[in-house]
Amino acid sequence: MIEMKNVTKFYDNFRALNCIDLSVEKGEILGLLGPNGAGKTTAMRILTSFIPATSGTATVAGFDVFEDSLEVRRRLGYLPETPPLYPEMTVGSYLNFIGELRELPAKLRRTRIDYVADRIGLLESLPRVIGTLSKGYRQRVGLAQALLHNPEVLILDEPTVGLDPNQIIEIRGLVKDLAQDHTIVLSTHILPEVSMTCGRVVIINEGEIVAVDSVANLEKTVAGKPSWKITFKPGANQNWRETIEKVPDAEIADLVETAGTCEFILRLGSADAFDGLFRKLADMGGIFTEISPVKATLEDVFLKLTSGEERKEAA
Amino acid sequence: MKIFALMKKELQSFFFSPIAYIVFASFLMIVGYLFWVILVSSRVASLEPMLYNAAFILLLASPVLTMRLISEEKKSRTIELLLTSPVSPAEIIAGKFLACFVLYLVLIALTLQYPLILSFYSTEFDLGPVYSGYIGLILIGAAFISLGLFASTLTENQIIAAMISFGGLILFWVFGWAKNVFDNSFGEILGNLSIFDRYAEFLRGVVDSGNVVFFLVFTLIWLFLAARVLESDRWR
Repeated sequence: MIEMKNVTKFYDNFRALNCIDLSVEKGEILGLLGPNGAGKTTAMRILTSFIPATSGTATVAGFDVFEDSLEVRRRLGYLPETPPLYPEMTVGSYLNFIGELRELPAKLRRTRIDYVADRIGLLESLPRVIGTLSKGYRQRVGLAQALLHNPEVLILDEPTVGLDPNQIIEIRGLVKDLAQDHTIVLSTHILPEVSMTCGRVVIINEGEIVAVDSVANLEKTVAGKPSWKITFKPGANQNWRETIEKVPDAEIADLVETAGTCEFILRLGSADAFDGLFRKLADMGGIFTEISPVKATLEDVFLKLTSGEERKEAA
Repeated sequence: MKIFALMKKELQSFFFSPIAYIVFASFLMIVGYLFWVILVSSRVASLEPMLYNAAFILLLASPVLTMRLISEEKKSRTIELLLTSPVSPAEIIAGKFLACFVLYLVLIALTLQYPLILSFYSTEFDLGPVYSGYIGLILIGAAFISLGLFASTLTENQIIAAMISFGGLILFWVFGWAKNVFDNSFGEILGNLSIFDRYAEFLRGVVDSGNVVFFLVFTLIWLFLAARVLESDRWR
């Protein structure tokens, strides 16, 4: 549905995107993830044919974004970084204007406005003037604008910015529902959002793709040794550290000792060694109050891939 | 269809902001004053001096109406919406132009009270120059708006857009003065570019097809350039 091949974008001498290759299948939700200034917005603007790529090609639904820009724009719903709103208009007249620009016939326009407003929770706000709306509501109007013509492809630049937690959950649900018959590209720097909504993630840093995979696979790649977070009362047993350290490859990290309670992260060479160690410590009179496996999260993936350490090592 | 949607939206914004009202009020106040002063001092039932001055006031007022047309969309980033909708830059420019032009026609229509007053009280009032004068006023308005609209595509700063259109319009006004300075073909070419010399002919009651074509071409050139500038934003 969406294809980017070797896309590079220069702003004067600044390279915003470098040789981006990307493809998104129909019905997929792709998350674009990256720190500020990574090139997420630039990539989206190229896909919406708002700006041209310096080199490389991009197609949406089989149409080139530069050559067949009009066809691309017909099939696209786009929520830019700043919701493009006219503060002096009411929500209803604004959506009606968008419907006219999107070539919806008058009858369909009315039903779509009602349907979309209902889905996004704007039904009551239709007669309100946009300038008087809160940030969250403006964001919703921006989203309604992108959905109005039921486009094949939705490009959402940080769709949940400025929404409160309840709204975020609603919008996430909405985005997931939409994925059944839409192809969605969304950018965000809110990591849980990606884990919850996106089938696949592209991590961009300094204009380059550093990882493309499903959230689960990405988490596996940085997982490293199996780890547990443990809160433990050693009791009379003062040798617990030695007991652990006897296990090959065992590590204790982030140890905090307070009034007879120890909190630490335990890393072992293999998960199998844990059972034996647990029994041994318990037999020695230790009491466990918390044992939870520590999984690598998308956050770790993100930090590892974008913090710069990785690249220094490579160099 | 999309052009009319854009036009309707633009007309709405004109009346939501105080700019249109303020321009209307000050224009009508000045024109009303001029009508009175000129009539009382000359005691001639002619609209020519008033219409001549009205065009100059419109030259000063029209950049205030046109400056926001595209600049504001750029500043508030709503241009991103327009350019990523299935609308061509030419349609955007046409919609904006028509909205401003309709507003201008309403403004001009409000001055029709003065020829009405004259025809009511004067026994020998010649309507010919009034018709041709208003044709000229409509044409020169289209020219003002097109140049102002072009200026507005150049920048996201409304003040700069207004200043560029002031500069441009006043330049096309004073071009005519070259005729008195250079007694050669150069002076003649500059003189032909003068929008006010051509407008003055309409006021004398002459609707010269050359002048009509000049204003139409002048308007279309600036509209064409405005659409190109808007389009070129997509190439950069």
